[in-house]
Amino acid sequence: MMRPLPLFKGQRPAVPVTAAPKDTVYSSQWRLIYQKFKKHKLARISMYILGAFYIIALFAQFIAPYGLQSYDSKYVNAPPMGLRFVDADGKFHIRPFVYELKSERDPETLRKMFVPDTEKKHFFKFFVKGEEYKFLGLIPMSTHLFAVDEPGRIFLLGTDGMGRDLFSRIVLGSQISLSIPLVGVGISFILGLIIGGISGYFGGWIDSMIQRIIEIIRSFPTLPLWMALSAAIPPRIPVVTMYLYIVIIFAFIGWTDLARVVRGKFISLKNEDYVIAAKIAGVGDAKIIVKHLLPGFMSYLVVATTLAIPSMILGETAMSFLGLGVRSPATSWGVLLQEAQKIENVALYPWKLIPLAFVILTVLTYNFIGDGLRDAADPYKK
Amino acid sequence: MANPNVEGFSLKRKSNLLIVLVLITTILGGCSASSSNNENEESTVKEPVVTDNSAKEAPMLAKLVDEGKLPALADRLPASDDIMVEEVVEEIGQYGGDWNMPWTGVPDKWGIGQPTEEALFRFNKEGNKVEPNVAKSYEVNDDSTVFTIHLREGMKWSDGVPFTADDVLFYWEHMLTKETFGKKIYDAYYSVDPVTGDRALAEVKKVDDYTFTVTHKYPSVLFLERVAIDNKWFFAPAHFHKTILPEFVGDAKTLEITKQWGYEDPKVFLMETGYTDWLHYQIPTLRAWVPTNDPNGDQFVMERNPYYWKTDKEGKQLPYIDRIVATKIQDPSQKVLGTLAGDYNLVIFDSKDFTVLKENEKKGDYRIIPWTQPAWSSAGVQLNQTTEDPNLRKLFQDIKFREALSIGVDRNQVSEIVTSGLGEPIQASVPEGVMGYQEGWAQQWAEYDPERANQILDELGLNKRDKDNFRLNPDGSELTLTVIESTTDTAPFLELLKKYYEDMGLRTNLKVVDGGTHFDMKYANKIPMTTENISVVNVAFRPDTMVPLRVITPWFGHYGLYSQSGGKEGVKPEGDVAKILEYWEKVKASKTLDEINQYSNEIVKLHQKNQWVIGYAGPTPVLITASNKIHNIPTDLIWSDEYRSLGQGHPAQFFIKQ
Amino acid sequence: MFEYILKRILLAIPVVVVISFIVFYIIQLPPGDYVSSYSAKMSASGDIMTQAEMDDMRANLGLDRPIYEQYFVWVKKIILHGDFGFSFNYNKPVMAVIQQYMGLTLVVSLVTMAFHYIIAIPVGIYTAVKQYSAGDYFFSGLSFIGMATPNFLLAIILMFFSYKWFGNPLLGLFSNEYVNAPWSMDKVKDLMQHMVIPVIVIGLSGTADLIRIMRGQMLDELNKPNVITARAKGLSEMQILFKYPTRAALNPIVSTFGWSLSSIFTGATITAIVLNLPIQGPVMHNALLGQDMYLAGTFLLIMALLTVLGTLISDILLAWLDPKIRTEFRGS
Repeated sequence: MMRPLPLFKGQRPAVPVTAAPKDTVYSSQWRLIYQKFKKHKLARISMYILGAFYIIALFAQFIAPYGLQSYDSKYVNAPPMGLRFVDADGKFHIRPFVYELKSERDPETLRKMFVPDTEKKHFFKFFVKGEEYKFLGLIPMSTHLFAVDEPGRIFLLGTDGMGRDLFSRIVLGSQISLSIPLVGVGISFILGLIIGGISGYFGGWIDSMIQRIIEIIRSFPTLPLWMALSAAIPPRIPVVTMYLYIVIIFAFIGWTDLARVVRGKFISLKNEDYVIAAKIAGVGDAKIIVKHLLPGFMSYLVVATTLAIPSMILGETAMSFLGLGVRSPATSWGVLLQEAQKIENVALYPWKLIPLAFVILTVLTYNFIGDGLRDAADPYKK
Repeated sequence: MANPNVEGFSLKRKSNLLIVLVLITTILGGCSASSSNNENEESTVKEPVVTDNSAKEAPMLAKLVDEGKLPALADRLPASDDIMVEEVVEEIGQYGGDWNMPWTGVPDKWGIGQPTEEALFRFNKEGNKVEPNVAKSYEVNDDSTVFTIHLREGMKWSDGVPFTADDVLFYWEHMLTKETFGKKIYDAYYSVDPVTGDRALAEVKKVDDYTFTVTHKYPSVLFLERVAIDNKWFFAPAHFHKTILPEFVGDAKTLEITKQWGYEDPKVFLMETGYTDWLHYQIPTLRAWVPTNDPNGDQFVMERNPYYWKTDKEGKQLPYIDRIVATKIQDPSQKVLGTLAGDYNLVIFDSKDFTVLKENEKKGDYRIIPWTQPAWSSAGVQLNQTTEDPNLRKLFQDIKFREALSIGVDRNQVSEIVTSGLGEPIQASVPEGVMGYQEGWAQQWAEYDPERANQILDELGLNKRDKDNFRLNPDGSELTLTVIESTTDTAPFLELLKKYYEDMGLRTNLKVVDGGTHFDMKYANKIPMTTENISVVNVAFRPDTMVPLRVITPWFGHYGLYSQSGGKEGVKPEGDVAKILEYWEKVKASKTLDEINQYSNEIVKLHQKNQWVIGYAGPTPVLITASNKIHNIPTDLIWSDEYRSLGQGHPAQFFIKQ
Repeated sequence: MFEYILKRILLAIPVVVVISFIVFYIIQLPPGDYVSSYSAKMSASGDIMTQAEMDDMRANLGLDRPIYEQYFVWVKKIILHGDFGFSFNYNKPVMAVIQQYMGLTLVVSLVTMAFHYIIAIPVGIYTAVKQYSAGDYFFSGLSFIGMATPNFLLAIILMFFSYKWFGNPLLGLFSNEYVNAPWSMDKVKDLMQHMVIPVIVIGLSGTADLIRIMRGQMLDELNKPNVITARAKGLSEMQILFKYPTRAALNPIVSTFGWSLSSIFTGATITAIVLNLPIQGPVMHNALLGQDMYLAGTFLLIMALLTVLGTLISDILLAWLDPKIRTEFRGS
């Protein structure tokens, strides 16, 4: 057994590897990483949560009780309804229920005040037939996970300015918000890695030229590009396609950051002993890059990627702010946040800020996963 | 073995220190923000509290008179018989205070221009006639061909130079008829022969220093009203313009002056100085407040005009309020926040912000004064009758199609969701109390009857459907309704509209482009549908939205181009649209006010019959949000462009109670 | 090293020229032009321009000439007269407009940038050194919230709470009465108060990124053999920290540091719009939206210059920081 390494004060010792000696001796690089990752508690929890989000996104239309176009003028800006088990008389019900909402318009402020009507109870029902939808865009279905009988309504997280259920919109919006950024980040990642790697590894005039091209691309003014794109796009294009275009453009401009960092790292690592050794041994350039140089800054890649995904989610919000990108009735978390961006919502209807919690949770989980990956991939951390 | 002792590790302390610093700064900032709020209140009022209200001029001016920097009040006002007395709405006011308002900068120039405007003749409180303003009085001959206008003796510009008929004649001869400020000679100055249609330009002659005449070849009954709408002011400071117009100083000198002022192009310079001139402190004015600094800065300040020619009943020189301070904002939420916090004390809002403003009325110590708008609706669409696609054009011109579009939408939902119930679920129509009101118009096709709507569409031959179940044109081609907007404000309304239209089987596309593009597209006749509103007090005054005279209003598209180009371009108006133009000609050639009103009414009735503009929620009021300290704001006026919006309330007599 | 810098400066010239043309082209790419936006605004306030008036205005402003001509006229004026053209919107020479906002922009940008780096780097190091401690979780949590919340949403929430709790939403950079007032201690105090929300908003999100990167990098380096060797040799903790891991960890940060130059110039745009900060960002935003050709073009040109300059500075810093890179540059 090796002597434990001296530590900084307060630094906890790394988790000691105890079980499965056979695996750790003979496993490949990646298997080692996978095993270490499993041990990182926070990362594991985050994986479960994020996994749950993606599953919800997949089954969004099933889980959401209402659709994206369920406008209802009777319930404009209604606050979240509480699920109850005990009614006004003190009786306990196993099945949860909600009270119907009575609404009154304050004659002075014209604000709709919602009061639960304790006379009318609506019980939760599972696997209910509701609005039609197409599962995965292909299979027509109409079963929803839960709902209440007409004329009752179930607004778990309240409604928005057009009477639509916020919970449904969040769940349905997650489809766009959780999937599209992956595409954008994927593209940036690959481009940045390849181009930055080539630039840093080969140096010389290749490096020079690529760096100049990066400078030119960075100087593109994105606003007129969006405006021109926005004007050129035919109006009937499916929202998802439009968003995809935008994300692709984002990615094509966004890879420059990663490329630059990769190049910096490559230049610094290029002259490490083990790289020179590999070169002398006759290993091809590509293999050197992938097998020797990459793992050297894997952690940065991981951190950068897990940072990039939430920034793509937010980038979409910024576009909505400027009036471009996804538009109602199509919904994404960015659209929801953009709608919340009004003083009256912050002041009077604060439940409209709930999508923010979802975004934060997503960001947190991605980051803890990133943490776990980083720790797992660190060759020096015992 | 070294046991690293990291006691000396000061990084942890450093970052702790930083956190504490940030927190302290935040708290300090917050605390002093609340305490300085009180300071704000005090330092806004620059002048000492006026306990003795008998002074006839503002203290800040009295001070200057004492110092010998300003002539005495009697010398600054016009001759005592010719002073204009402004009625106060509630009570005689006190001097002092600032009117703090938000604006978006120079593009918002009319936001300051309209309330402070001083026209030759302005609209009276009822809005049906004009009354003298800068002018003292007038006479008209029997057939409305000669107008004699009297000015006020002793009236002066803001720099003390006398204002006389010479300023009117100068404007007429050297600016308006020579078209030096980028505008063609206004329509108001032409009279039309009722028989031949010949148009003749009026003649303007000086009689003496304070009298001049305008002579028309043919009767021009509404001449003064038309001037009040088109031209507003009919004068300019001759002594200033003589120093910049090329006619007097030569092109080279004008160019030099243009560059001195920071402009590039003399034409733009002359427009800014000859037309939208109230932002420049170098130009003498008759308005109650005079600019003092560069309007492109973050705060534009206007100060009282020492030579303002109006007083209240007790002889106190107006305005009561010392200054107008316009602070630049970039985002609408700042307008609301600033009003809630008391940064701004007199602000105009539209009804969208009603709830949040009303909720904070007590805390913010302000009140909301709604003024009605003469708008036909607050959520409606215009169908371009000359739209390019022939199938669409046929449908739009078909009155049954318009009926279907109208009854296929649930107005209650629209009213509730889009206007919070403020706009009633009625048809686009002239509202009650406005000229042209027609009994029963509001209920026309206002019921929600989707069955009947679908039936009508089927009867129109639109019964073939495509694979998405959208209706096809009779010839089998795709049928799409395209609504093109220049703003995202109407997005919720259009979302609803799309749902209802598509429920009827009409594929609907929504597109938002920027303002400039939208404008270009209107001109090029590329907008089939859009949500512009019709809001007019009297079609005889402002025909542009109801009569196809120019390419400017979406529903008549290139019919307007036909009129504008004299028949060379555009689409020849036919049917009821042509009838509108006929009636308009009759209006122009009318000899009496009654005739004019009669024909105007006919034009409105044609609109009722055809409903080219469909509305789904009634008009909403404009919300004037004023600090409770500001008094004399009228509560029951109509907000419209023709009446110069807030100007109709005569801001010179608003005052701030100390 | 010197030849390297010289070579880079020479290379910069054609790059900037290419950028200037591309940028000029892109600005006018959206349909319509300045006259369209102008007439749209005018007609919104009841002042309708006829087609003839619009054509007139286009001819006056030179907007009816082909794009190449407009570009060459502009470039010629810059090179021969140092005249960057005229802003249609402000009716002032472009340079006057930029100068007007330069001062405050620098103040806001530099303060927030200082906030970024001064806080992020030490905190990043700390959370790496004390990984999994309470402090690590606290800072990480805070930075996540900052990173996950869109700036403008955070801004409006903070402004609202400032209004609710303190009665003053702290709009803009100055209270009403100090906007045009001459500089005084009170005015400075007012400015500092108003800086609180912008610094928190702009600082929080950008800082989060830096903290995470710094932390990740430090974690990488802390366990490397050279650190262990140095410790064994008897160097103090502080010395070790600053000699090896920090320098290597700073690599990615320094690579893109130079690019923050151009963002200093503009300040954060969307946040500035929401907070009503009178800085360059919103001015440029509006110039692009309204197609105010020369103002937008000059802005972008300056930013291009700063970007190129920034890349050069980054490269120099990289070399200074890491001797391996130094050799690389010298060698090539």
